[in-house]
Amino acid sequence: MFSIICYLKEFLRAEWIKKFLFAKTPPLVTPPHYRDFPQLTGKECSHELRCMMICPVPDAIKVLKGEDGKWRPVIYKGHCLRCGLCVEACPDNVLTSGRILEQNEIDRTSLLGTYHLVIDNKLCMKCGNCSVACPINKEIDPRLAHNATSSNDDVIMRIKNSKLTILHPEKCTGCKTCEETCPNRAIRVYRRVEAVQD
Amino acid sequence: MKKVVDVSLPIGPVHPCFKEPARIKCETMGEKVLSAEVEMGYVKKGIEKIMVGRPWQEVMFLAERICGICSVIHNMVFIETVERISDIEVPIRAQYLRVIVNELDRMQSHLLANYSYCYTIEHETLAMYLINLRETVVDQLELITGARITCAYIIPGGVRFDLRDEDAETLKAALDKCEKDISRFVKIFEEGPLIALRSKDVGIITKEEIIASQAAGPTARASGVDFDHRLNHPTYQKLDFKPIVLNSCDNYARIMLRFKELFQSIELIRECLKRLEGLKGETIRGGGEVGEGEFTWTGEAPRGGLTYHVKTNRYGHVEEISVQTPSIMNMDACAHYMLKGADSAADITAVFISSDPCISCNER
Amino acid sequence: MSIIQSIKNKVRQRSIHVCYVNVGSCNGCDIEILACLAPRYDIEQYGIYVHNNPREADILLITGAFTEQWEDKLKHLWDLIPEPKAAITIGNCPVSGCAYNRRGARIDPPVSKHIPVAANIPGCPPRPTEIIGTILELAPVVFKDYEEKKAKEAAETERKTKGAKK
Repeated sequence: MFSIICYLKEFLRAEWIKKFLFAKTPPLVTPPHYRDFPQLTGKECSHELRCMMICPVPDAIKVLKGEDGKWRPVIYKGHCLRCGLCVEACPDNVLTSGRILEQNEIDRTSLLGTYHLVIDNKLCMKCGNCSVACPINKEIDPRLAHNATSSNDDVIMRIKNSKLTILHPEKCTGCKTCEETCPNRAIRVYRRVEAVQD
Repeated sequence: MKKVVDVSLPIGPVHPCFKEPARIKCETMGEKVLSAEVEMGYVKKGIEKIMVGRPWQEVMFLAERICGICSVIHNMVFIETVERISDIEVPIRAQYLRVIVNELDRMQSHLLANYSYCYTIEHETLAMYLINLRETVVDQLELITGARITCAYIIPGGVRFDLRDEDAETLKAALDKCEKDISRFVKIFEEGPLIALRSKDVGIITKEEIIASQAAGPTARASGVDFDHRLNHPTYQKLDFKPIVLNSCDNYARIMLRFKELFQSIELIRECLKRLEGLKGETIRGGGEVGEGEFTWTGEAPRGGLTYHVKTNRYGHVEEISVQTPSIMNMDACAHYMLKGADSAADITAVFISSDPCISCNER
Repeated sequence: MSIIQSIKNKVRQRSIHVCYVNVGSCNGCDIEILACLAPRYDIEQYGIYVHNNPREADILLITGAFTEQWEDKLKHLWDLIPEPKAAITIGNCPVSGCAYNRRGARIDPPVSKHIPVAANIPGCPPRPTEIIGTILELAPVVFKDYEEKKAKEAAETERKTKGAKK
């Protein structure tokens, strides 16, 4: 008996009756502040690869050269987890997602990245795979091949005096190609990110 | 006396009441439960192993994905550990924003826990009310952080986005609505005769048993243990935080405690919003790079104390990490103390859900 | 096609019973499925019922990155579901393993290696609206002409076996 009164009390509220009679499912829309998959804004990409370097998941974003010869980031659905770090890290505002770009402009916030190359000399067997595979090395000295013995001193790293030497660590973009090609995991790339506001 | 045949009653791994796969094996005699054991390992992924050798911006996302229900606190505790390792100062505005997001997350987690309990005891009206209210809270999280579940809001040295003035107004209005609705739901919960039958004096665990099984969080506080890891947190100390304690030790107390913590969270968020108004235009990110060191730090997750032990190398990459989540103790307490001697097999799932187990947290 | 058959097909599209199984996700996708039940989205107004019982399900929702424990169990669960049936994977994990897909993780994505999957919903986690939208879009495709398709397939195999005998 008591429970019936309880339920009647619940269902006889004016609010409930109003809702019951005039129920309407709200339109299923995505609010504008939701961080969806990043979209292109149309601005030109300068191929700094910061989005690829900061992405926390494997294979989610790649910067590819289009048919018109321009670089363009491509998001892979099914890998991308919509964190929006790539949007924040991009120096040219190529990507946009939700309110991130707008909010970053108001707050004047950004993410800065530095990269450090570390070689374990005990593991390194001086094969030179890392120096040959490095895309920056290839741009600077296209002839660098086979054991990485070259006389060019502008490259990031090469075999010098039968020892793998890092010459210009500041040129590294942190792509980890060297780490992937190393047979012994002797070379490691450390990506360091700092969140700043000015 | 004639011996009644013992039945070993397995529940799960796929069960309508469980959100996640777990199996409870109960030895029953008639309706009475003699002993219970929880069998796990269905969602073991080895997250701690793959966290090793990664920088904070990758580990942060893996830490969030340990548990999708309490993702913000995992993010927060990991980042706070890293900050303490490398002596990064957090601006005061960012500290209050962290508390706001953390408390919103706690609210949605508690609402979900109470939803599952009401759903388990078949009080579907209240369950639907609660999960609908959870949508309101999740909307606020989405408004501030941009995502519904895995927010990725807290980073070393601050937070990712500032709170806009118009969003603060929306948040205040939503809190008023939540407070009004929750007080109505608490009344339904207190007065409902069905709920009292299914919850009062069911799944009793005493204070001594809590201490023996090291249960944490709302499960412990509902049995009179006056402890909350938020007491050790510097920002909560500024807000004069006091834990809520109940003494009736049963399912009813655990659910009521969560309702009371909802009101407390609302008050905390209001206090933070008030203080944020005096801090307009302050920085939200202090910068700072992650360095070398080792530290252990505990925060209060919606289910109890959550501990991260992190060791980093010279470049701020994680070298060693271990995570201790509260659910493992709560589930142990549930299986060995609450379920033991339960009067009805129908209470097994209700008792299990009332301790708010999180299997993904447990197994990682 | 008889009238009864067409009515049957129509009803089948409008009444979908759903079972969800977590094969190693972080809970995020599971609670987004639960959020679909909320009166805000109200999944039942579209004729979708969440039962969590494989024996009466039409659609199996899979979340998570397939851990080792599920190696034999998921196949068994899939066999329990009566025909016609379809599987939808929710989130990134069943597609690619998401953030867990690193060396040393005890997972084995994608799920489509183990059971046939009809659709994927990307996102980590996807919004409830995306989940509802996908189920509603997929259901007519699978259940529109199930009997006819089956009859056609049976005829095809019969012809093949006859040809082989000759």
